[in-house]
Amino acid sequence: MFVLLKGLRHARREIALSVPAARGSLALRHVDAGSCNGCEHELAAAANPYYDLQRHGLNIVASPRHADVLLVTGPITTRMVQPLLIAYEAMPEPRLTAALGDCAVGCAALVGEQAQLAGPLERVLPVDLRIPGCPPNPEQIAAALLDLMREAKQRVRADRSRSWSPQPRHPAAKA
Amino acid sequence: MSVHGREIVRALSPARILVVAPERWRAECELHAQEGWRFCGLFATSGAQQPRVSCVLARGGREHVLSTSVPTGILDTLVDLFEASAVDEREAHDVYGVRFHGHEPLRPLLEHPSDPAAWTVPVQGHDPYQVAVGPIHAGVIESGHFRFTVVGERILNLDLRLFYKHRGLQTAAEGRRLADGLAYAARACAACSVTNAVAYAQACESALALAPDRNLRRARTLLLELERLYNHLNDISAICAGVGFAPGSMAFAALKERAQRLNQRLTGHRFLFGAVAVASSELRIGHVDARAARHELRSIGDGTRSLWRELRFAASVQDRLGGVGCLTRDDALRLGVVGPSARASGIEKDTRSESPRLAYGEFAPVSVARASGDVAARFDVRGLELEQTLALLDDLLDGNLTTGAVKSLGGADCELGVSRVESPRGETLCAVQHHGGSVVRLHLRTGSYANWPAVACAARENLLPDFPLINKSFELCYACADR
Repeated sequence: MFVLLKGLRHARREIALSVPAARGSLALRHVDAGSCNGCEHELAAAANPYYDLQRHGLNIVASPRHADVLLVTGPITTRMVQPLLIAYEAMPEPRLTAALGDCAVGCAALVGEQAQLAGPLERVLPVDLRIPGCPPNPEQIAAALLDLMREAKQRVRADRSRSWSPQPRHPAAKA
Repeated sequence: MSVHGREIVRALSPARILVVAPERWRAECELHAQEGWRFCGLFATSGAQQPRVSCVLARGGREHVLSTSVPTGILDTLVDLFEASAVDEREAHDVYGVRFHGHEPLRPLLEHPSDPAAWTVPVQGHDPYQVAVGPIHAGVIESGHFRFTVVGERILNLDLRLFYKHRGLQTAAEGRRLADGLAYAARACAACSVTNAVAYAQACESALALAPDRNLRRARTLLLELERLYNHLNDISAICAGVGFAPGSMAFAALKERAQRLNQRLTGHRFLFGAVAVASSELRIGHVDARAARHELRSIGDGTRSLWRELRFAASVQDRLGGVGCLTRDDALRLGVVGPSARASGIEKDTRSESPRLAYGEFAPVSVARASGDVAARFDVRGLELEQTLALLDDLLDGNLTTGAVKSLGGADCELGVSRVESPRGETLCAVQHHGGSVVRLHLRTGSYANWPAVACAARENLLPDFPLINKSFELCYACADR
């Protein structure tokens, strides 16, 4: 155990994530809609000691009910459309959708007009964030998600200032 | 030509294709089974007027392809001769409409009927109930559906429903040039991308009567072992995660990251994408880079060894591995299990020892001291194979590597080429049928495809909460099977 923990300390010392940190957190739920497993490997790698996404408040959660962001990978096979829509429906609002990898974004070389595909993601769900790459590496995934976090925060702040503005709710009440 | 040269030509000769009449199909297969031929895969093609069915069998380093037309649309089943052919026959039925006489019930594989009775094994008795899991799982893993029939916490039966990720890659490859078809095989799965690509390239070269030169063999072997390295490190990390041992899981995840960074430095891609081509190799590694890579691999090896020792002495890990998810040798033979899972059950077979198109030389499969077929044995096999892989890589990186090419064997072209390559999960079969340099049919039967039925078999009689651990000890790809 001692050696294991020492090894981990060593790995953490050379953390290479160069993206600027952001305050806040995002709960992520991943859905594989027909990927080659490359995006899954890289998303899982984002939690390894070299990247450690959790220290930026990016947490992968077990259920769409707990999630702010739906991270979708793969070219959206026809057999995954229904489960994907169910997962999306289960999310609380406000919710965001991210296309992770070239297949979900819709720029993968191999994904043609196969009958078994319903994608890319934008044909099935509204897309808020596109993370291209085949597969995108953990650092690119982290950078894109941290940008999304900043943007989402600004949007929430703008919404809040609008709804809290001291304007009368009913113009008729003024008279 | 020297005697040695003639032997090499014979070893590289393409698979023998035996065309049989539909009524002789079963008898011929039975004859092969009696002579000790092993089932490697069965696939259908649409053919000119009527579908054709082919069965690939292997003995030693030789392959036979039995092929028949199916004018009536019905063929005798092989499931009682080779139980491993059950999944292949279901796929041939769902995609090409071939029915198999005697395969009852022929459950759907690619089709997903809403009624569970149509695809699950009926279980009767006192209070069995079903637990449905997936296709979306709680972790960051691929999509697939498991339906457990349990009493209390004990699993009585597990029915798998895969093919949620079926992308139709095999059909999409049809009509492409042989060189372009490679991408469809390679991108079926990221974690087995090199294996699938090498299997495809070798199948094409075998059909075109081409032999790889020394550099090409060395480059492909190097890539295959780099792939095995990061996969085995990942699998050990996954088994640690399966028992909730975070320090082990994270330490091996860090080693995997180092292996993938090495991949990036050597080939420009963390998953080695684009490093394999048909009939050539563009991989160049200079003296300095090779020495640096060897140095890094030795450091990864040292790390692996010391962490492995820690895991061996971590009682809370070891106590959870023994006796869980047992796959007996008989079951493994019956189901045609391949790869580390087969070796953990005492079947000392490794396709690397019969790969004349690769640079494995005198390769001997690992043998575990305790081939008990449980999670502990599968864990041990990975540890031993890591040693083997690191030694092979050290050997392969001795000196610089330049571009590779092929030379003609002087034989005639053959319209069908088959090739078998050992992936981190077991033997992968690729069959490529071509006409005038274009793909007519691509069939990929990966180690994961072969081993999924074994996961269901090993899960029986175990506790439901142990299933994630059992599943991770096989660590099969869904993408590889679904294609």
